[in-house]
Amino acid sequence: MSAEALVRGRAAERLRTVRWYQRPRWKRLGAMIALAVLAVMVTGVQGTQRDLFYALEENLTSPLLLVWLALTVGVWAVREFLSPQVKAVSDGYRSVVEEPRGKLRRAWREEKWLRWGALGALVAAAVFLPSGLERYWQTVLVDQIAIYVLVAIGLNVVIGWAGMLDLGFIAFFAIGAYSAAYWTGALPVQPPMELNNFAVIPVAIVTCLLAGVLLGAPTLRLRGDYLAIVTLGFHEIVYLTAKNLDDVTGGTGGVKVERFSLDLGFWSYEWGVIDPMPYYYLLLVFIAVVVFFFWRLEHSKVGRAWTAIREDEVAAASTGVNTVRFKLMAFAIGASTSGVAGVAYASKVGYINSENFVILLSVLVLAYVIFGGMGSIAGVLFGAAFLVWLPEALRDFVDPKDRYMYLGVLLVIMMIYRPQGVIPSRRRARELKLSESGESDADAMTEPAGGRLS
Amino acid sequence: MSLNAFWDFLVLGVVLGCLYAVIAIGYTLVYGVLQLLNFAHSEVFMFGGFGGLMALTVWAPAPDPSGAQSVLYVVVGMLAGAAFGGVVAYGLEKVAYRPLRRHKAPRLVFLITAIGASFFLYNLAGKLFGRNSLSMPDMYENKRVFSFFGAELSVTMILIVVSAVGMMIGLDYVVNRTKLGSSIRAVAQDPEVASLMGVNIDKVVSRTFVIGGLLGGAAGFLFGVNNKVVYTMGFLPGITAFAAAVLGGIGNVRGAMLGGMLLGIVETLTVYFWGEEWRYVAGFAVLVVVLMFRPTGLLGERLGRTA
Amino acid sequence: MLNKTFVKLAAPLAISALALTGCGSDSGGGGDTIKIAFQGPLSGDNVQLGTNMENGIKLAIDQANASGDYDFEIEYFPTDDQGQPDKATAAAQKAIDEGVIAVIGPAFSGPADTAAEVYAEAGIPAVSSSATRPDLTTKGYESFLRAVPNDSAQGAGMAKYFDQATDAEKVVVVDDKTDYGVGLADVAEKELTAAGIEVVRQSVPQKTPDYSAAARSVVGQKADGLIYAGYYEDAGPFATKLAEAGFEGTTMSGDGTNDMGFVKLAGDAANGWKLTCPCTDPTQEDATKAFADDYQAEFNQAPGTYSAESYDVAQMIIAQIAETGGAESDSEKLLESLRGVEYKGLTKTFSFDDKGEFKNQTIYMYEVQDEKIGYVGNIDELAAE
Repeated sequence: MSAEALVRGRAAERLRTVRWYQRPRWKRLGAMIALAVLAVMVTGVQGTQRDLFYALEENLTSPLLLVWLALTVGVWAVREFLSPQVKAVSDGYRSVVEEPRGKLRRAWREEKWLRWGALGALVAAAVFLPSGLERYWQTVLVDQIAIYVLVAIGLNVVIGWAGMLDLGFIAFFAIGAYSAAYWTGALPVQPPMELNNFAVIPVAIVTCLLAGVLLGAPTLRLRGDYLAIVTLGFHEIVYLTAKNLDDVTGGTGGVKVERFSLDLGFWSYEWGVIDPMPYYYLLLVFIAVVVFFFWRLEHSKVGRAWTAIREDEVAAASTGVNTVRFKLMAFAIGASTSGVAGVAYASKVGYINSENFVILLSVLVLAYVIFGGMGSIAGVLFGAAFLVWLPEALRDFVDPKDRYMYLGVLLVIMMIYRPQGVIPSRRRARELKLSESGESDADAMTEPAGGRLS
Repeated sequence: MSLNAFWDFLVLGVVLGCLYAVIAIGYTLVYGVLQLLNFAHSEVFMFGGFGGLMALTVWAPAPDPSGAQSVLYVVVGMLAGAAFGGVVAYGLEKVAYRPLRRHKAPRLVFLITAIGASFFLYNLAGKLFGRNSLSMPDMYENKRVFSFFGAELSVTMILIVVSAVGMMIGLDYVVNRTKLGSSIRAVAQDPEVASLMGVNIDKVVSRTFVIGGLLGGAAGFLFGVNNKVVYTMGFLPGITAFAAAVLGGIGNVRGAMLGGMLLGIVETLTVYFWGEEWRYVAGFAVLVVVLMFRPTGLLGERLGRTA
Repeated sequence: MLNKTFVKLAAPLAISALALTGCGSDSGGGGDTIKIAFQGPLSGDNVQLGTNMENGIKLAIDQANASGDYDFEIEYFPTDDQGQPDKATAAAQKAIDEGVIAVIGPAFSGPADTAAEVYAEAGIPAVSSSATRPDLTTKGYESFLRAVPNDSAQGAGMAKYFDQATDAEKVVVVDDKTDYGVGLADVAEKELTAAGIEVVRQSVPQKTPDYSAAARSVVGQKADGLIYAGYYEDAGPFATKLAEAGFEGTTMSGDGTNDMGFVKLAGDAANGWKLTCPCTDPTQEDATKAFADDYQAEFNQAPGTYSAESYDVAQMIIAQIAETGGAESDSEKLLESLRGVEYKGLTKTFSFDDKGEFKNQTIYMYEVQDEKIGYVGNIDELAAE
């Protein structure tokens, strides 16, 4: 054997040997220890401005670290050394649960009455339950949950059905809110005629339709990620315009907007300041109307055209689908839904300023849609409601400053485990599966990252 | 204002553009290999700022440093920032993105993961380091100014330009001349063939993140020197740098440099002509207009082909 | 190998973590406890100001409970509005549901505008120690009291100083595009113009990535003075860049900048900045020095902007609760009593007019010297000299 070959042989051997710390088991232990350290940082003390290292030192010397280490290392040990036993237990559990679960699932799929019954129960709960809540939760339900549910339903049209990534959706929400302020005479610039808040709704719809088309028309030939950044830019431009043109929009100082009121001559009603329930029922009606309309739309010619565009734009175009028209339509319909939400928002809170429409909200709304399951109305309803509720609920459990940290963790974990969302649309779930197994490309968004990365 | 003032602002724009360019490279590199918008890169940048600050808190600069000492402080701060950025980017890839890549999750899922990770990271930084703004300790006497054809240059500005240009040249060398660079380009061009040719894709992706993180972290340190360090500092420069990467043609390293430089100049000249409050409006307007005429950015996509 | 399994293991841990941290926050109620709420930004971008105030209030409550002077126990109840008007109604509702007797806050003017309406309807006194937008007291929010001079007073004070104490002819007024900054800058601009001084108005939004361009354009105006209306977090780097760009005129800012944080951020560049504030310096006199020491001991940091004011307001409310019957007191009685109060606190004497506006509109001047904020004096007196 020549010297060179010997050297090469040794190198190969070196490559083959796996040191103890490179073995999966010990690597996993390292990961669990790292996790414990991270967890103690997350749950530990708040840092101070005085001492940059205060929180680090405090956390790494606190008994909490030991608790976390015990937990994580315990989990590791169970998994490494007791896995047959654990598996037996979980198998036993599964075999007990499996049958009734399968039955339930089949019944759900086959029995119509079950689904209608569940839907009816849900609607009844939505109508009657909130009146028993604390007023704080009622306020959250109206000011935030109901409003963002409406916005998320709108975004679902753009992203879930037409397959276009929109990172600036709150811009339309802002346009709706400012329309309400303008037409009720709240802005520094006066409208030609003052309208009732309800009469503003169709006006806002038209305004947002136009804005949607205006944004959509020049950007439609962009795909996926480019569209995302352009819509983001669009949002930033709308937001900064609202912020900087103080003389027109009131800027950060904001403007007071009148609340909903109805005067039919023989009967009049005013939605008051304190009690959120009248607004709740109003918004419930809005949501119901929009959901019904979209549900019809999804299964109409338009909905099928969107599906075709999303799954393969070129094929859709070659079979005679006017892609530009349908994409614009998705943009406009989504935008106008968001506009309605904007009107409702301004007329409920009674005050708007530019800071209500920051870019972070656009990002959050996107997260709501994906979290719930894009393309599925039920999913989007749930996603928005849950993710808006969560930070409010976390108030009571963790330091309020940390709430969004936990939200972030939840998003990451969720995406790893259930990327299709909590209640996925069946079609979307299938597309996802196909693209995962490499059988179809799906659209720009369901296409795997790393494209053809094996 | 005069032509002189205009020149002044142009130089300021170039300085800011250098910072944007370095951050934008982080976005573009990751996009190049994964076609993924790494939204959380702005937090990598932010952690870099804190890393530099921590190093210079442990090893506090002397009150009146000599020239050599100053250079040493800056180098230490920047290395610490880069190291922090690199570590965070590495962890991010391992914990958040790799599991997704394993089962070929769609891009949108990556995007939401990135958003979640970004929320987590910046709130964690706020929790650990306190939520108010901090400034870098004085490492040198900044009052001294040089004149560059009439434009006043401060030490900070020179520091930013010199280190940013250095990093960009270094990166260009790494991507185009080294073995790691060619494997990065190979993965960007065709991951399947690359893996057939014996490129370890996991390793390359991981290293790409680290490179982006090193640059982002160093940029975070420079940003901290020029402005301040605070847990929310990543967001706006992050979005701008992201726009810069898209402007130049995302996935294209030289495009990111060009885009960053361009946005820095456009923004600063906007301040000159219309005022500070319109800064981002102009930046994004330029982006929208450019994309309307060149849908894949100024220099086109693909790390593999053009860089 | 941080793969799916790793996260699979992590998920239950994260959940148990939530449960763990949750256990600590349970608080026993009942007995003779009276709840006082604080509404302000306890999360989000402006959390630092919220924390300053919260700590001041906590200190006041702890001291009151420990003193044994009162036959009732005070419980602190924080309610977070993130500094945003739309979150403020829910936050207010939360405090009302909790049955608080009074609220300190809302801290910011925007949230105050939406929440004051809710508090008014519930009849709960809302005493803000920092919402300074002038029009808040003109909107008929019946239970809203402002325990701080408003922006009109401060803007007018700034203008007066430039007019009478300096011979400035041209002043650049910069706002930070926040509710607070724009309001203050508007008043300052108006008053300066009325005094015959040329004003150039500019805006430098918060969190600008690079202040050098803004600083250059201020220098380019060749003005004799600058008023920055905004918070110290941005004033710090802005001051640094102004010094770098060679601005030589008189530089002045308001109470949002009157914080040691400003000096820390700006370093040498802070020297010479004049800072107005409707507050007296907590480290200035003996009584206030004791406050500063206690605060330092409790929270491991120096009191910040509005810490002392919030401490004062909390103490005032506690004293008024005691006066209106201690544990028997209620919101209605308390509000009545607060309206007619004449309470001497650390920072100033508190009393309100019939609209709930703060009566004492004195503004004080501070100046940064040798990296310390030094007390200069009453602006009216300085201007008269």
